[in-house]
Amino acid sequence: MVSKVLVANRGEIACRVLRACKEAGLTSVAIYAANDAKSLFVELADQAILLEGDSITDTYLNQTQILQIAAMTGADALHPGFGFLSERAEFARAVSQAGIQWIGPSPNAIERMGDKMSARITMREAGVPVIPGEEIETENEEEALIAIEQASTRVGYPLLLKASSGGGGKGMRAVHHPEDLLEAARSARREALAAFGDGRVYLERLLTGSKHVEIQILADRHGRTIHLGERECSVQRRHQKVFEEAPCPTMTEEIRSAMGKAAVAAAMAVNYEGAGTVEFLLAPTGEFFFLEMNTRIQVEHPVTELITGVDIVREQLRIAAGEPMSCGELHLRGHAIEVRLYAEDAANNFLPAIGPLAVFLPPEGPGIRLDTGVRQGDEVTPNYDPMLAKLIVWAPSRAEALQRMRRSLDDFVVLGTVTNLRFLRELCDVTDVIEGTTDTTMIDRLWPEGWSPSLPDEFEDGALMAAAVAESAGLHRQNTSNHDASEHSGPVSPFITLKRRFP
Amino acid sequence: MHHQFRTAQGPVEITLARAGEVWHLGEHQATVEHDGRLMIQLASGTSGFATVAKVGDAWWVHFEGHTFCLERIEPGASQSGDEGGLTAPMPGKVLDVLVEVGQLVEAGQTLMVLEAMKMEHRILASAPGQVTGIHFTVGEQVQQGSVLLEMVEDEN
Repeated sequence: MVSKVLVANRGEIACRVLRACKEAGLTSVAIYAANDAKSLFVELADQAILLEGDSITDTYLNQTQILQIAAMTGADALHPGFGFLSERAEFARAVSQAGIQWIGPSPNAIERMGDKMSARITMREAGVPVIPGEEIETENEEEALIAIEQASTRVGYPLLLKASSGGGGKGMRAVHHPEDLLEAARSARREALAAFGDGRVYLERLLTGSKHVEIQILADRHGRTIHLGERECSVQRRHQKVFEEAPCPTMTEEIRSAMGKAAVAAAMAVNYEGAGTVEFLLAPTGEFFFLEMNTRIQVEHPVTELITGVDIVREQLRIAAGEPMSCGELHLRGHAIEVRLYAEDAANNFLPAIGPLAVFLPPEGPGIRLDTGVRQGDEVTPNYDPMLAKLIVWAPSRAEALQRMRRSLDDFVVLGTVTNLRFLRELCDVTDVIEGTTDTTMIDRLWPEGWSPSLPDEFEDGALMAAAVAESAGLHRQNTSNHDASEHSGPVSPFITLKRRFP
Repeated sequence: MHHQFRTAQGPVEITLARAGEVWHLGEHQATVEHDGRLMIQLASGTSGFATVAKVGDAWWVHFEGHTFCLERIEPGASQSGDEGGLTAPMPGKVLDVLVEVGQLVEAGQTLMVLEAMKMEHRILASAPGQVTGIHFTVGEQVQQGSVLLEMVEDEN
């Protein structure tokens, strides 16, 4: 039985899960740090409990405190979202031992997939193709370096060194020449040790020109493990996905079927339960190789939801409650694209930005979905990830979806904080994106010296004129700041002045 | 009406004319809509709505899918100019407030300490005078260009 779900996360994904709980008729509990007291997700929960402490370690990563809150509120299930504690096997174990249903796979499955080397071995044994390479199990630095050097001659160049406990590009090095190997191996080990407390690295052949394609999996306790087709997430910046779509534009029925089978085999090899994602590299030859498995809900899950009609989070709740998944035979329909809206200055080396969301007006219309954890009047702070929202569009064809995304991004108004909106908009006009021939190196290839917007002079004239007219017409005096808007009644005017000093 | 804005390319001067409800900037025209947006008609024939918001001294403008942050240079403003130093040089957090309203301060005295981009920045009095306003308290986030404190400089 699942009746009361504690959501151990914040922001956008917490909102997504809390809304799903409400729709499923489940009671929900949010946990929040003091600096999140006014965040949207807190008000979406039936009950919200303050986490003591200031740092992320003391709050959203504090397993003891979260378990105490779960016990205190009588929660009988826990949804970890993504990031934070979502892939910590020891937390999943502690939650289960406390008699609370972990909404996700078993701790054992998380462990076997979390360690990249053991995942490769598990997959190879399950008959899933892995990238040619070699695992180096030894912890000892000297032995590891010797083994890496020997393995490199068999793997061949260019090659990739990857941390076994890695993620987010940490402990990862591309090596193009044998003479650079030892230095790269030493620094990858150092970085991995510092970031994950585990310096083990392994070798993989570097497959250039490949696409990042992943398969969404669902598995229930009634013997059903299915895949929901693929997503392509090749457009990445420093291993951070920015533009995701489903289906993959170059996918064939044959490859989808083979990749889907491999993903289901991967999930069954670890007795997987719930929602998960198996990531592959798809080479231009049509060959594909296992990259890793993410044992949690993924940021880009909405594109799959839009083309399959399956509510993946709702299915997670159902599966955790021991029910069979509700979806029947799947038919992929149309095309979906997601972009990630970040508070960052794309023209200034993508530096994170902070500020007020003085105006936050998302686009509207058919086929548009916005998953966000913020609303107008919120403050973007440096405390957490700078992702503000995911904008997802659906249309019958890829060309129409891309056109809808362009229109949506043009209509999206965010004032007060710098965002990557324009960068995303210009991505939609890149030839590789239009033709669907994106690969994982595209952004670096297109903008090696950094990105800057192409801006017609006359638009700047228009903006300057707008600012000058707004100032002359006294638009900023028609409303006071959001911070002291308490005496203001009636509809909120769009002229929001956050200025604290009256001129 | 005359305005100055700081843009990415440097300061720009704007002189607006007004005829009834219509504003003119050279061949460009603008009207204020009832919902506060501006209808902009450019000389080229392009027209569209602009959404605006003022944050600190800056006007944020969304026009034709582009977003602009245009910092207004106040005519004759000494405190928010480059010299004043009583505005936040970059976004950050207030670490310490070392003065009170009404306090007399000397030139060079530290008034406030900010943390921005993991570095400390001291906000100093540029001349002797009296603090007449403090707009932030310890722990608050400040935007670039926010007026942190106000002071009246001694006359001499």
